[in-house]
Amino acid sequence: MSDSSIDSLREQFGRELASAASEADLRAIRDRYLSRKGGLLSALLKALGTAAASERPRLGQLANTLKKEIEQQLDERIAAAASTRAPRGAVDITLPGRRPAVGHSHPLSILRERIESIFTRMGFLVIEGPELEDDYHNFEALNMPPEHPARDMQDTLYLSSPMRSSAGSPATLLRTHTSGMQIRYMETHEPPVRLIAPGRVYRRDNLDLTHTPMFTQVEGLVVGEHVALSDLKGTLDVFVRELFGQERKVRFRPSFFPYTEPSAEVDISCAACGGNGCGMCKRTGWIEILGSGMVHPAVFESVGYDPEKYTGFAFGMGIERIALLKWGVEDIRLFYENDLRFLEQFPQ
Amino acid sequence: MRIVHEWLAELVDVPADVEVIAHEISLRGFELAAVEHGVIDFEITANRPDCLSHLGIAREASVIWGGALKPRPSGRVESDSVIPVRIEAPDLCPRYSAQLFDVTVGPSPSWLARRLEAVGVRPINNIVDVTNYVMLEIGQPMHAFDLDKLQGAELVIRRARAGETLRTLDGVDRALDPEMLVIADAQRPVAIGGVMGGANSEISESTRRMVLESAYFHPPSVRRTSKRLALKTEASTRFERGADIEAPLEGLARAAALLEKIGAATAHATRDVYPSPRLPLEVSLRGSRIARVLGTVVPEDDVPRILSRLGFLVTGQDASWQVTVPSYRVDVTREIDLIEEVGRHHGFDRIPVTFPPLDVPQAVPDPRIERDGKIRRAMTAAGFSESMTFAFVERAAALPFCRPGVEPAAIENPLSEKFAVLRPSLLPGLLDSCSHNRRRGRKDVRLFESGSRFGPSGERRAVAFAWAGERTPGHWSTQPAPVDFFDVKGTAELLADVLGAGPLDFSTSAAPFLVRGRSADVGTRGYPVGSVGLLDPAIATARGFPASEEIYVGEIDLDALASVVDAAELRTHALPKFPAIVRDISILVAQALPAAAVRGTIRSAAPALLESLVEFDRYQGKGVPEGRMSLSLRLTFRSSERTLTDDEVEAAMSTIVEALKGAHGAERR
Repeated sequence: MSDSSIDSLREQFGRELASAASEADLRAIRDRYLSRKGGLLSALLKALGTAAASERPRLGQLANTLKKEIEQQLDERIAAAASTRAPRGAVDITLPGRRPAVGHSHPLSILRERIESIFTRMGFLVIEGPELEDDYHNFEALNMPPEHPARDMQDTLYLSSPMRSSAGSPATLLRTHTSGMQIRYMETHEPPVRLIAPGRVYRRDNLDLTHTPMFTQVEGLVVGEHVALSDLKGTLDVFVRELFGQERKVRFRPSFFPYTEPSAEVDISCAACGGNGCGMCKRTGWIEILGSGMVHPAVFESVGYDPEKYTGFAFGMGIERIALLKWGVEDIRLFYENDLRFLEQFPQ
Repeated sequence: MRIVHEWLAELVDVPADVEVIAHEISLRGFELAAVEHGVIDFEITANRPDCLSHLGIAREASVIWGGALKPRPSGRVESDSVIPVRIEAPDLCPRYSAQLFDVTVGPSPSWLARRLEAVGVRPINNIVDVTNYVMLEIGQPMHAFDLDKLQGAELVIRRARAGETLRTLDGVDRALDPEMLVIADAQRPVAIGGVMGGANSEISESTRRMVLESAYFHPPSVRRTSKRLALKTEASTRFERGADIEAPLEGLARAAALLEKIGAATAHATRDVYPSPRLPLEVSLRGSRIARVLGTVVPEDDVPRILSRLGFLVTGQDASWQVTVPSYRVDVTREIDLIEEVGRHHGFDRIPVTFPPLDVPQAVPDPRIERDGKIRRAMTAAGFSESMTFAFVERAAALPFCRPGVEPAAIENPLSEKFAVLRPSLLPGLLDSCSHNRRRGRKDVRLFESGSRFGPSGERRAVAFAWAGERTPGHWSTQPAPVDFFDVKGTAELLADVLGAGPLDFSTSAAPFLVRGRSADVGTRGYPVGSVGLLDPAIATARGFPASEEIYVGEIDLDALASVVDAAELRTHALPKFPAIVRDISILVAQALPAAAVRGTIRSAAPALLESLVEFDRYQGKGVPEGRMSLSLRLTFRSSERTLTDDEVEAAMSTIVEALKGAHGAERR
């Protein structure tokens, strides 16, 4: 026995350990080196007797150090190998998971809820009304007597024979806007009024990329003793920025509706071009999204409000149009085809 | 309305840049449709017929750029009574003016033809072109008759007689009725008042003498006639919205000047029949009211400035004015109309942004909104995607869902056969949506919709669902299983739970659109609320769904359900203090025996200690005699006062087994 035989055993162990590929290889190395009978280290220690007596203590210490080194390195490697071993009942976690079947809300519902929540936070009541209406609530009470030219703006679908509406009243037409509900509300409630009326409305429009004969409207109405056009601007400014983004600009442009005066169209700055003008906004930098105005005194007169005492504002928007803009939908008909490939693009 | 830049500039000073003009005017209520080659196309709202003319837009421009309107050459108007004009219907025609001309018909000079073309009007001949020119310039529609073609040289303005017809200038024979106003000679109609002239008195190359009409017609009458004849013209558009009753003579004078200028005619006598002249309209305007409506104070000097430029006569002081409305402003009748004028020229962008004060708490929203939200959450969580379909459908698609002998509610003026009737059920729309998805290769379809449907009792709310394909999403670990009756039954029960409607009863359905034996009517507390089951394959295939595949559906009347919902506040039960004893039992009974009958027998035979029972297996086949089935139930017994003993439960079980034997001939397996 000599220093060199200890060193060569250390080198040999180092090589074998480096080439061990599995836990089984490591255990075989342990047996070969550390087994009490016939292990390479036992043999080395036995050979201590062949060394000079003066060298024995030093060589014995070196051999023991080697033994400890080998034990420690094997323990570490075996523990490391054991920790990567698949436990009992292990599964292939890369196979697909079993997802519960979950459906998707319709995009128009998602948008309607979002709009309702913005207005609810501003103190608006949400009401619903009948989809079948009578001429009085849909037109006359809104300052559109028979033969009024503005009736052409809303081409109406009529029932072949009168029918009971969900309000319990006899109806003759499909409502062209949800304004009839505002009339019904004012007929039965005193000011102040602050409400939105969402719902489906009907117009005799042919189906194309931007028109459907049925669409979803959200209309709003605020009435009080001190409600001004500036309040309309403030309210819709908050709404538009919350819905489309704080960076969007809002513009109010005079227009005409029979039931409001002054009337205003509301435009938002075009998101596609940032207001510089592009194909999407017809080079104007602005996109029209809703109609609004101060409630016409004739409307107050028809519901028995004193137009000298009360003022108010109203607004209305088609939410399909907003959805087209917001989500880049190119064909409005997609909202009514219920193609799951479309619906599933919206959150669950 | 197309406005030609150079034409407008003849009437009022405007900037040289056409884009600037277009932009500024568009911000005052005239939406811009297009600008090209010096022509600006504005959309004119229905309340502003005065702006269907260059003059109207010129007035707006005079407020913006401060220039006064420029005078235009106009000819002589000599009143005498050479042409007999008789108004027999003054309610429909309050004013009729006419002038005689000797004419030489020919093409218009090119400057005139070009202007008409720029506005989109086809030049015809110098006479017709001048009438159109005057209309486009000042807004007064006019019509020229060939005097020598009139049978009896007089003009009678009267209602049409029953059976009268007239071939109009567009070559179409029109049947007239007594609600329509005509211009007639001694014999027959020669024009439909305010709408279109007749071919029988049309100006032609050979015309030598002409009567030029410049009148005012009653707007609703023109509108009715135009609608009934489906004939919309430049003239009818202006008259039905309201022309200027003080403009007819101005129109004639302007036409005479132009006709003489281009050498087309020599003007002669004029006749003006105007039995009840319009009374001046005066409206008060308060500065305080302007501030209250707009939410801003408009400088006191700006108010009279804006209004007088628009042609209003303004008197008064200290922010309190008397305003005389010009005859062409038919939209202005009250103070708010003046406030609008002030507001739109003051500029909406100069109105501040404020928020309306909230001084009372808000009421509770419509409960249907919360209900729809609950339905949406429950149904999407159950795997159904929300669909929306039109409320009108094809009659053939609706019929299977109507009670036999009941017609769906029809729409009087549908867009097409596809939208002819109101849906009696939400199912036709869902079925079409299923077919749409199936045609695009999607086999597993789960859709629901909540909305209105329209039956004999009127408009009602409902929720419906349709389920085709697999019960669970496909996965490598599971065998596919198609949807069946119990899936849609469970869905109906889920909905009832979510809506607080309590347990549902299911009974054999006679619904004509469901397959007998695999469908049920749904009720609660004795009230029918809907049905569930397998959709009749004949109905599904008629709408393009493959015959080899099944669609299970359900529909619940939400209004009916709402009427039985228990509104009482929730009370909780204490949790049980004592353990339960569970016993399973398997019995052989007749195959056709409903499980509900077995359950009923057990319930009535068992002591109050029976807490719950549920079927956990149903088996037919090997080991079970033909015509019988094995039904296994799990019974749970519990007392709220003590721990039960085995003996008590055994006694209960033998009573139950005896009862089952007696009632159904059941044998225990």
